[in-house]
Amino acid sequence: MEILKAENLVKIYQDNGVPVNALMDINLTISKGEYVVIAGPSGSGKTTLLNLLGALDKPTKGKVYFETENITLKEKKELSKIRLHKLGFIFQAYNLIPVLTAIENIEFSMMLLGIPDKVRKEKALELMDELGIKELANKRPNEMSGGQQQRVAVARAIVNNPSLVLADEPTANLDSVTAGHLLDLMEQMNSEKNITFIFSSHDKQVIDRAKRLIILKDGRIENQ
Amino acid sequence: MLLKLAWRNIWRNKRRSFIVLISVVVGLAAIVLTDGLSNGMMSQMLFNQINLDVSHLQIHKNGFDRNKIVKNFIPDYKHVESTLQTNPEVEAYSKRVFATGILSSASNSSGVIIYGINPDEESKVSIVKSSIINGKYLGSGKREIIIGKKLAEKLGVEVGDKIVAMSNTLKGDIGSDAFRIIGIFQTSSSGFDKMTVYVQALTEQEMLGIGDNYHEFAVIAKDYTKINLVKNNVETKLGSDYEVFTYRDLLPMLIYQMELYKESMMILNVIIGLALIFGIINTMLMSVFERIREFGVLMAIGMKNSRLYLMIIFEAFILGIFGTFVGLICGLLLDIPLAHSGINLSIFATGLESFGVGAVIYPVLSIGNLINAVLFMPFVAVIGALYPAYKAIKLEPIYAINYV
Repeated sequence: MEILKAENLVKIYQDNGVPVNALMDINLTISKGEYVVIAGPSGSGKTTLLNLLGALDKPTKGKVYFETENITLKEKKELSKIRLHKLGFIFQAYNLIPVLTAIENIEFSMMLLGIPDKVRKEKALELMDELGIKELANKRPNEMSGGQQQRVAVARAIVNNPSLVLADEPTANLDSVTAGHLLDLMEQMNSEKNITFIFSSHDKQVIDRAKRLIILKDGRIENQ
Repeated sequence: MLLKLAWRNIWRNKRRSFIVLISVVVGLAAIVLTDGLSNGMMSQMLFNQINLDVSHLQIHKNGFDRNKIVKNFIPDYKHVESTLQTNPEVEAYSKRVFATGILSSASNSSGVIIYGINPDEESKVSIVKSSIINGKYLGSGKREIIIGKKLAEKLGVEVGDKIVAMSNTLKGDIGSDAFRIIGIFQTSSSGFDKMTVYVQALTEQEMLGIGDNYHEFAVIAKDYTKINLVKNNVETKLGSDYEVFTYRDLLPMLIYQMELYKESMMILNVIIGLALIFGIINTMLMSVFERIREFGVLMAIGMKNSRLYLMIIFEAFILGIFGTFVGLICGLLLDIPLAHSGINLSIFATGLESFGVGAVIYPVLSIGNLINAVLFMPFVAVIGALYPAYKAIKLEPIYAINYV
């Protein structure tokens, strides 16, 4: 089942008045449950593409369909709703809320959905247990290692049962062992919960474990 | 959770929050103190006037207030007296004979208001008895007179000296009498002390030739806030031959001045509020710019703009509430002891006395003003956060996430 489709996507940035072609004529279809890695050298447009697919940015031309719905022209409020209900994000720099504990960070997106306090606490703890990070529940981000923070970020991304998780260079700040554990975890989530994962990465370990690899070069898909 | 997040965000930069808090605390404490002082000053001006000679209510023959001449005495003072005696809201009253005249000593003379009083009655409606600083209050002596300190200085007299009072009589002649000064009083109003003397009512009635009549009833009510009820009741019973005035009717300029003062205090509060608003805008903007990336993440995970906006407003509101609470305590800690001990402004005594205010000001806290101040500060804090919160929600998630 098709979950995401990009049609003739073009993204042109203005750099001091000079147009920069970040993405050119991207056509792409992702099916439910896929485990996709978008790879390519720095500046190839990986993050730009991920941002467009995740409704964080708008294309200069072209369309993005999420679950057959064209999200390109949607209002900020509607996009925000889609991100809350259907998407999960994992960032390179973890980006946990520094003043919240691990469990509160995970609970936060459930709170946005209006899930009652008790239910979300139970669900967050259950998920933390599943991901092996239960003991971090009451720790704040500055009390955790990079790998621990990224596991909490994964938990935050999947706690609302999204259809799609977008991970931008999730292992870039981690050592290879920790990165390996994290990838195991996401693979497990992909196979057990059938969550679709799209990574952008130039980490060999991530690329090697891709079930589908899309290679970008100079803003164009070179190989998929 | 949003409140929890807002609360924790406040304390992530303690120094900055502390500065905002201090400004709210100082602002509120200043408002409480200045309100208390201005209230105290205004109340003192009003109550000094009431306690000197105005009282809560005055009753005259109709037309006396416009034309204070000897023949305008009360037509039937016994009727007035019985009306007041049957009114349960009346605490005390004093019958007064009123005349303007000249007081002469061996060395000088001065225009004065001569009140003829029954000393015991008058002591229940005015503070003249307790304002005696030299000698004693009027007793039973027929030729006794008490005068103000300023007048005594002008006439060059002191207790025990003789002076002569002159005034028009009912027949149009000049009546005069010699008096011995038995007491000198000093009140908070230098104008009153310079212009007013008291003698026995009987003596003045004889001097003016008005029989046993009086010109004025000065009335003190049990509850001055109900004075209009008393006025209406008395007016109805006495009819149109009499005029009945409350202190508000008798002191229109002072009442106007008080209203004006209240408004100027409001303007001052708004100025304090404006200064605070700019401080809060500055601080909240700094706080927003520091967290742009975080806001980007919140947007990315699906936080709606309205919630983000609310979160920033909550932060300012909590600071406002917290500052208000501490500011209120500080303000009260300053105000309450001062309300008992007063603030001694004796270096401005001359100026204050000319306004009818004593040298010691006692701040008066009004519940209404306190409530206003308590509501005002969180409101100011929220106003100060509106623009920074607007700036936050105008961010594009992609820009915010990548902000360095």
